[in-house]
Amino acid sequence: MKFQIPIGPQHPALKEPISLRMTVEGEVIRDVDIRLGYNHRGLEKLAEEKSWIQNIYLTERICGICSHSHATCFVQGVEKLMELAPPKRGMYIRYLVSELERVHSHLLWLGVAGHEAGFDSFFMYTWRDREVVMDLLELISGNRVHYAMNTIGGVRRDIDEGQKAKILEGVEVLKKRSEYYFKIGANEPSFVARLAGVGMLSKEQAETLCAVGPTARASGITRDVRKEDPYAVYDEMDFAVGTAASCDVLGRVVVRVKELMESYKIIEQILHKLPPGEIVVKAPRKAKPNEVVSRYEAPRGENIHYIKSNGSDKPERLKVRAPTLANYPATVEMLRNGFIADIPLIFAAIDPCICCAERTVTLVNFRNGEETTVLLSDLRRRAAEIHRNAPPKRNAVWPF
Amino acid sequence: MSDADIIQRLRQDLGAQALELTNPDLRRIYLKVAPSDLVAAVTLLRDKYDCAYLATVSGVDKGETFEILYHFASPAANINVRTEISKASPHIESICPVIPGAILYERELQDMFGMVVDHIPDPRPLVMPDDWPAANFPLRKDWKFERPAERIPGGKL
Repeated sequence: MKFQIPIGPQHPALKEPISLRMTVEGEVIRDVDIRLGYNHRGLEKLAEEKSWIQNIYLTERICGICSHSHATCFVQGVEKLMELAPPKRGMYIRYLVSELERVHSHLLWLGVAGHEAGFDSFFMYTWRDREVVMDLLELISGNRVHYAMNTIGGVRRDIDEGQKAKILEGVEVLKKRSEYYFKIGANEPSFVARLAGVGMLSKEQAETLCAVGPTARASGITRDVRKEDPYAVYDEMDFAVGTAASCDVLGRVVVRVKELMESYKIIEQILHKLPPGEIVVKAPRKAKPNEVVSRYEAPRGENIHYIKSNGSDKPERLKVRAPTLANYPATVEMLRNGFIADIPLIFAAIDPCICCAERTVTLVNFRNGEETTVLLSDLRRRAAEIHRNAPPKRNAVWPF
Repeated sequence: MSDADIIQRLRQDLGAQALELTNPDLRRIYLKVAPSDLVAAVTLLRDKYDCAYLATVSGVDKGETFEILYHFASPAANINVRTEISKASPHIESICPVIPGAILYERELQDMFGMVVDHIPDPRPLVMPDDWPAANFPLRKDWKFERPAERIPGGKL
């Protein structure tokens, strides 16, 4: 007997609300169908009608969590089109905000992973620590989410010695707290057992399905745009690409914990090397006809913008590919042959905005066509029940 | 492998198939092929140039023609394969047999530009709503958004 479970589509706060229709056999998912576009905003069309400067603020609003990523990706492309060389200090501040944003996004995700796995103390710890980095971002930009730091030719706000000292202080606190996450698996075998073996994505699958970011790196692919295609300041920084070979949700946790530590390293290097000087150069209003491919490693994976100019003050074409879209085909494979109870965990593991899925899970009973709507919290409760009595996976090892 | 080496090798491997080969920036290579040579070129890139990773596919409306760019990335460089098809008969062969991860991008091309991707494994609409009027392709330059007149159910017209 096969059932179908639709998940989605109404996720009002999500960039790309998604409808997943799963065919299940008992508790096991056999097939997943994906449907996008429930909240398509026509942003690429809109961008063609806005000037270069207006588009910075438009691209910043593509995502609410990694807002700086899209704006930076756009701006570094436009700077190439306009043949501008932004001053070094401006670049350092821009990528300082990038790394702080990565820290806040990863801390947020670790909390979500803990929550979905039924480990709510971990969720509370990470989100408390996240306040530290949110405060730092507010100190730099005046905002907690949309920093509006970027402008064509540099950044809009400078940082002074006092702020520098405060950021270093904050990073020191975060570093200490993050060391606890390294030990978390050793102290909490049930957490490791819940994550190990869930949402498997082999290296071959990740490669053929073009997965990006921590999802790909957890499957043993060392693809990181900061290393492969070192844009701006990254060729001057010393950092490692965090990978894991376990190919499951545990691996994705491990990759993000490793990346947190690397981000702290980069933030410290940026602050210690911060050169004096200007933060911005004057940009022309128009760009010559040309084209550019701009790549950027966002917290969720590679962000790519293709920008084409036509000599006017507006782009001819702006193509945006956000990392979550690239990870959808891989998500389908991760969900296949998994359990219904693991849906929240696996889907959260690619780091989409899942908060709004709370009210849109419907179970369809195919025997009598009856539909029952369950809350995600209910699904989570079912998951917790199933796994309460399950024996811990003996072979699951915390890799630190 | 430097950009110059890659271009050199691409010239040898593709011969006359490479209509245009430019390197405007560090680690950015643009290759132009005819639509009929696309699948062969993509297969070559995947097998010989470590380009199994397709970052995305961009479509551009150039008036009389559509330009399609396949943005590949290998650890050495970002290789962009460009091809041009006519707007009157916008047919392009699917690269999904070679790169399975291209499916969402190709479906997006069909929705947004009205191109027809031949032999695509899954041709259903991806981003457009089910009640979207036929032959309306938003990213074509001649398409303009017109806000439908607001009607209040049960109210005056």
